[in-house]
Amino acid sequence: MRLRRIRLLIWKEFKQLSRDPMYARLILAMPIMQLFLLGYAIGVDVTNMPTAIVDLDRSPISRNVDASFEATEFFTVVARPESETELRPLMDRGEVSIAIVIPAGTAASLQRGETADIGLIVDGADSQTASVGIAHASRIVAGLNTMPSDGPGVDAQLRVVYNQSLRAVNTMIPGLIAIVMSIAILAIMSQAVVKEREHGTLEQMFVTPITKGEYLTGKIVPYTIIAVVQGTIAAVLGTLWFQVPFNGSMTVLVVGLGLFLLTNVGIGLLVSLISRTTHQALQAMMFIILPMMLLSGFMFPTDSMPEAIQPFTKLMPMTHVLIVLRGVFVKGAGFEALASPLLWLLGFAVVLLGAAIVLMRRRMTE
Amino acid sequence: MRVSLIRIGALVRKEFLHLFRDPRALAIVVLLPIMALILFAWAISFDVSNVKTVVWDADQTPASRAYTQQYSAGGFFDVVGGVDSEEALNEAFERDLARVALVIPAGFQRVQDSGGRAPVQVLVDGSEPTSARMGEAFALALNQRHNAVSYATWVSVTPGAASSADLTTGTITPQVRTWYNPERVSSAFLIPGLIVVIIFIVTVQQTAVTIVRERDQHTAEQMLISPLRHAELVIGKLLPWTVLSLGIITAITVLGMWLFALPLRGSVPLLIVASLAFVFASLAIGVIISTVTTSQETANITALMLTATPSFLLSGFAFPLDAMPTVLQVIARLFPTPEMMTISRAVFLKGAGFADVAVSLALLVGYAVLAVVVAVQLYARKARR
Repeated sequence: MRLRRIRLLIWKEFKQLSRDPMYARLILAMPIMQLFLLGYAIGVDVTNMPTAIVDLDRSPISRNVDASFEATEFFTVVARPESETELRPLMDRGEVSIAIVIPAGTAASLQRGETADIGLIVDGADSQTASVGIAHASRIVAGLNTMPSDGPGVDAQLRVVYNQSLRAVNTMIPGLIAIVMSIAILAIMSQAVVKEREHGTLEQMFVTPITKGEYLTGKIVPYTIIAVVQGTIAAVLGTLWFQVPFNGSMTVLVVGLGLFLLTNVGIGLLVSLISRTTHQALQAMMFIILPMMLLSGFMFPTDSMPEAIQPFTKLMPMTHVLIVLRGVFVKGAGFEALASPLLWLLGFAVVLLGAAIVLMRRRMTE
Repeated sequence: MRVSLIRIGALVRKEFLHLFRDPRALAIVVLLPIMALILFAWAISFDVSNVKTVVWDADQTPASRAYTQQYSAGGFFDVVGGVDSEEALNEAFERDLARVALVIPAGFQRVQDSGGRAPVQVLVDGSEPTSARMGEAFALALNQRHNAVSYATWVSVTPGAASSADLTTGTITPQVRTWYNPERVSSAFLIPGLIVVIIFIVTVQQTAVTIVRERDQHTAEQMLISPLRHAELVIGKLLPWTVLSLGIITAITVLGMWLFALPLRGSVPLLIVASLAFVFASLAIGVIISTVTTSQETANITALMLTATPSFLLSGFAFPLDAMPTVLQVIARLFPTPEMMTISRAVFLKGAGFADVAVSLALLVGYAVLAVVVAVQLYARKARR
């Protein structure tokens, strides 16, 4: 290992990158663009759902229902169709995504002391809005029951621990730092070796006195530096722009992200070594990025996934770094609480980077 | 000079040869949609359920156990264990072992037996805002139902109680019905959207790369000295992938209907027309990328940037567009995905025909025509230089 040769290799990589000014700009613009797009796209909380009220009872009860739905930020009553038949076209066109149907005779059966059903119709074609809508609507309807002032009962007091404002960005942005970093490293790293192979410059490398270890270091270091820069841009910009509170320890954050970074360098390098063309490498990337985004709990909570999928979610390094990031940012968790995800990440980094180095050595002796 | 079918045909044949020469890349193109379909349809759900819940029952009476039991019964809360101290409770939250905690103080049964109101505490973890909000809502709803029931029982056994409280004893309960997707199977409403996202991801990249690759390998010059016209070249590049993409759409649809009981309620011709327009539009975006980028790598990265994340998030697939800031809604409309998303969902789930989605279809077709024209123009300008 000669430091001078490694330095020359690093210098060569940066020179290559800067030769295509568009590429260099893209690499820097990518995390910023993704951060803003994702931050604004995912950060939204469901409010003002277009709501229809179908009142077939026309009693004080139904006026009560009306007022309760109007009062919350989640629903905006946009239509009052006369019947379910009239409701249908509104929902077909997507103008209404939830409807409350008060059947005729509701007030009367309540007077008799019977149970009265109020219909909640949700648009099942409309993503997660439906499930959030059901939860809020159920709560409002349950709250309509005239609560006795005496008699036995339970008073449930709710308290939110961590992120009391329930702002979605507060948990999304920390996760986004990992996503942005990962996509950037994978996109660049997966091209690193296969590019040289495609251009035939890999053979030229082998006839120089450069050793395998030097070549490897010369490849990994520049891309790691870029990834660190990208990750820092994403972290600083995201935290400041979206005003995400940081409650934890910087050391835990750096350790977690560092291990995650090495894991991604390993994956990218493996893809680059296995692929024969840059195009293949890129497509393989998509193959990796897709499950990573979906199964990591970034967008969809892993708890809700079927039992059989649970082991696979554990195999995604992203799952563990998300726990670390959210833990540090939102909960202020330390090494002790985050020991298990950090150990997972350490394992991934050792295994994947190790495999990449072994494969690289084998490829180069061929 | 007119566009010649023979020349286009020759180019299409050449493109197919390229495709089959790289079976690995082709395999990924075909496998990716299938993997995505299975992953989505099976694993992913927009419904929040099985929220990990711990109970700190300091009362340990039949009443407290009955109250806890209601939490396990609903399907939303998943009671994973009990804790017996504040430290244990905090640790469960910190280690991500619980999202909701129910705390029942001692005296729960005694207070209620004497006709009073017993306090309980429900703690929700705000670091998952969606499940926290829903947890709050469901906990309150559950509690209110519990109170309504115990009040009714109390009134029936306590003489004179009903007259003291001027209340109706009936209870209102919500009955949820889901239209278009009655069982609320997530997969059914995910697949129509998934088709759109997947096709967009797969197609944009292909044309983006094939044209730049010709330039990188210096075969682009050879094309230029051939009698092939610019428009013919662009169309010849688009056609093979159009065929392939329609194949993928068919495969996903058939698999979806067979494995996941995806309904196809609307007009099939409408679906085909819309898919064609959408695929053309996406491929043309690929051509546009190839004309503005300088190398294969830049084309790759640009295609990745434009497809992987934004199409996913700005298409209305997972996150409702209406709720986003206006700027983002405008950016979203720069892609053909939102219109196709609307049409695809309407056709599969709502049984729509041409008249129902006329506006979206017109926009999509207009988009496709415009994108192809711009692609040809840009390509011609690039070639002239």
